[in-house]
Amino acid sequence: MIEDRELDAWREQWTSVAKPSASFQRDFQRKVQQRIKRHNRRFVLGNILTVIAFVGILIFAVYMRHQATWMGPGWAISICILVFVAVSLRIWVFRRTWRPEAQSTRAFLELWRKRVEARIRLLRISTYLSIGWLIFCAALMAVNWPIIGQDFRAHPKSWLAMLVVCVLMQPVMLWYGAGWLRRRKQAELHEVKQILNEMDA
Amino acid sequence: MSDAYSDKNRFAGQVTFVSERRHELEAQFDRILSEHGAAISRLAFGYETVAGVREELVQDIALAIWQALPHFRGECSERTFVYRIAHNRGLSHVWKRRPPHQPLDDIEESEQPIDPRPHPDEQVAQIDQRVRLMSAIQSLPVAHRQMIVLMLEGLSHAQMAEVLGITENNVGVRLNRARNMLKDALGARA
Repeated sequence: MIEDRELDAWREQWTSVAKPSASFQRDFQRKVQQRIKRHNRRFVLGNILTVIAFVGILIFAVYMRHQATWMGPGWAISICILVFVAVSLRIWVFRRTWRPEAQSTRAFLELWRKRVEARIRLLRISTYLSIGWLIFCAALMAVNWPIIGQDFRAHPKSWLAMLVVCVLMQPVMLWYGAGWLRRRKQAELHEVKQILNEMDA
Repeated sequence: MSDAYSDKNRFAGQVTFVSERRHELEAQFDRILSEHGAAISRLAFGYETVAGVREELVQDIALAIWQALPHFRGECSERTFVYRIAHNRGLSHVWKRRPPHQPLDDIEESEQPIDPRPHPDEQVAQIDQRVRLMSAIQSLPVAHRQMIVLMLEGLSHAQMAEVLGITENNVGVRLNRARNMLKDALGARA
């Protein structure tokens, strides 16, 4: 057995760091239990809110479907298509990128990298999709202008509100929201790759 | 009538099973915390220097263990399982935490241990040495830091390989390198 005094000294210093007392340990366990309960509550609440949001969207779509204006059915169809596309895209992009923390560090980092890359890809696809959606809507409006024009003259306020929300807000969301998120994700990707490189070096 | 009765019985059986399983998990979780709690606190030292945030990190790790526990099938030892989670949560913490490092030299002694009450027999010289060691470990790149922390926790090369997901030979080479870096860092702080 080779004696390694340096390592023994380090270990001694290292293990003297934390010797929690019994009361401290109890206090810690209580805090962890509280945190678990909070986490469980948040999980249940999150699921309830998702269901409420989904049902709300459906109710809104059905309500819009029965509106007198021409844009009612358009709203309903758009909402349904957008929800379907968003959910499918998310599931597709994040396939096989779940992040179980009980895996080895290497596997965890690989999955983390895949996940960040998937998120960046999702952002890029979402940007293209929303630009495409905007062009598609503009083209559809141009083709159907004789009918839409009448509706526009009949309900100018509603149309203007929709145009402001859809046309003006979209570039703001794209350039500032998505751009900021993309920069953040790229920094995260850089960090993960750096750790992976350190592991390989 | 009898179908309804058997359905009711089956349901009651399932409820009992779920409740028993939950109690089992809770007991296992409490045992893990009491057995590995100190090690988790020390591991957290490798990723966070500020006492308050470190305590949060230790709680985060405990929560992650609780979440992963139902999926633990015993493919690796319980110690490996706990260390994997602790390190992986620590890595996520390093990314989320901005700015990432606060030099340990600047931290007051009262912030050093996870248990803020100092032990009466603790000597000033020992504390200085410990602070120097912690500071040196903190200055290492994350991958080397992990190696050193696992080595100090007394894991064998095989166990380290299991935690990190690399080969045992690789562990040997990298451990040597990490150790030299730690020596240099300690030398610079002497």
